[in-house]
Amino acid sequence: MTTTEQSAVNKTWELSLYELHRTPQEAITDSTEIAVSPRSLHSELMCPICLDMLKNTMTTKECLHRFCQECIITALRSGNKECPTCRKKLVSKRSLRPDPNFDTLISKIYPSRDEYEQHQERVFAKLNKNHNHASLITSIEEGIRLQIQSRQKNRKSMQEEGTTPTPTPSAPSTPTPSEPNTPTTTNTSAATTANPNNSTNATNSSALGPKVKKPRRTSENESGAGSSNDGNPGEEIEGPIESGEIELVFRPHPLEMNEDNELIRELKDSSIRYIKTTANATIDHLSKYLAMRLTLANRTGELETELPSSLNNFCIYIAPTPDQYIGVGGSLTLEQINEKYWRHKIRSWINVGFWDSGSASENVTSSGSCLKSDEETEKKAVLHLR
Amino acid sequence: MAQNIAPGNSTTASPSKGNSDKAIAGRDSHSVSKRLQHELMTLMMAANKGISAFPDGDNLFKWIGTITGPASTVYEGLSYKLSLEFPCSYPYSAPTVKFVTPCFHPNVDRHGNICLDILKEKWSASYDVRSILLSIQSLLGEPNNDSPLNGHAAELWANQVAYKKHLVEQYKKNNVDEK
Repeated sequence: MTTTEQSAVNKTWELSLYELHRTPQEAITDSTEIAVSPRSLHSELMCPICLDMLKNTMTTKECLHRFCQECIITALRSGNKECPTCRKKLVSKRSLRPDPNFDTLISKIYPSRDEYEQHQERVFAKLNKNHNHASLITSIEEGIRLQIQSRQKNRKSMQEEGTTPTPTPSAPSTPTPSEPNTPTTTNTSAATTANPNNSTNATNSSALGPKVKKPRRTSENESGAGSSNDGNPGEEIEGPIESGEIELVFRPHPLEMNEDNELIRELKDSSIRYIKTTANATIDHLSKYLAMRLTLANRTGELETELPSSLNNFCIYIAPTPDQYIGVGGSLTLEQINEKYWRHKIRSWINVGFWDSGSASENVTSSGSCLKSDEETEKKAVLHLR
Repeated sequence: MAQNIAPGNSTTASPSKGNSDKAIAGRDSHSVSKRLQHELMTLMMAANKGISAFPDGDNLFKWIGTITGPASTVYEGLSYKLSLEFPCSYPYSAPTVKFVTPCFHPNVDRHGNICLDILKEKWSASYDVRSILLSIQSLLGEPNNDSPLNGHAAELWANQVAYKKHLVEQYKKNNVDEK
């Protein structure tokens, strides 16, 4: 019993850190209106059984505790004939009475209850995605679709304006329409840089298997030399793991995918992709994402020529330094990779290559770096989007 | 009058409760997972000292919780993992809570079962993961020695120095085993 009382007391009276440190406000004596945040009201309007907002409020006659009608009746039927909040005897339904005044009060505070519930659902969906791999895939798919839509829109509007489809610095700050719907997992912002610097002229190898390059240790100072780094050498890179999200860049592998490559020619500017996803996504997820992304692009006619339909096997490399590539296993999560390769480095790179099993000549590799989510790099990513 | 809603030590999700089953079966599992999501969110938002819990993998109906021993008790500085399994009738019946980390305590048996009234006949629908873990945490420092599951621990409790020595030995041994 004491626990219940304590927790009830805590809920109502325990001061938050903010409340402890804020400067006191003057007492209001005139007719000033005060806005109360819905969150602070929530504990008062919440049913302690379903933890949702009270619906058809019932109040216990003796101790005046409130519950949803459905919740308290189920609780009584399940055998416990006492008040869930304070253990006062509740003989039957007759120990309760409806509280329509409270319902009216709630509907005044939340005029659109549906909207509130939808908001709740969205929050839960977000929560779910954080620990649900299956929905991760679905949301990636969804994000891709939305992204393609917006791209086509962008393209059209650009053509109408008669501008060349190059990045415009005046792009608005939130270019991904997928963001509101899939907030945590799939900011699959495909980037279109003006000139991906795939300058390496190595011959396109026709090897069938994924290539695992021997890790070469290079000093941090050399990391800017050569390879796929398209400028911005001062950029500090690490995986921002605290938020459970990782931002990374896919780039074409500088050696295995040069400018002559068919797919790279087809993708043109969009061969570099900026991706933000949850840290529990695995390399398999990324690989699946790439396959899906290209298949969808293929299907919607975004690409001018048809690509082979079997774009489903990619080889992904990590580049701890810009000219070092390490093949990674499919079951590794980004978090593990972050731990292993990026965490203790000031500058480190994820080089993500992909490889198509369909035909040897379509060998596609892409590489990239993990971006720090500071303002500058974020802006950079934004600029690339348009 | 009070029909027990005790799910006992069994992990079965359907307690035998006669007609009350029907009432509960009518509620879909959606409302149960919704409630669990609510709990998860509150737990994540509010930093509770010494307790934490999170679903075990993708299954929202099985959680792993952690409690640290309360300060100024023999359990201070030790931390314990617990498993919480929620029945479909949650929160109208209690979850099954067990120690995963072996715990030397008068009210905990060798298999990790806990003897605590609020997890049995004193369960109430307004209890939640947070209140359960807080209750177990305080049980550590205030055992009920009248109905012990572990007689040895109950006897030893009177001598706190010897108790602590034995407790820490056991704890270290178990932690070495895990490694």
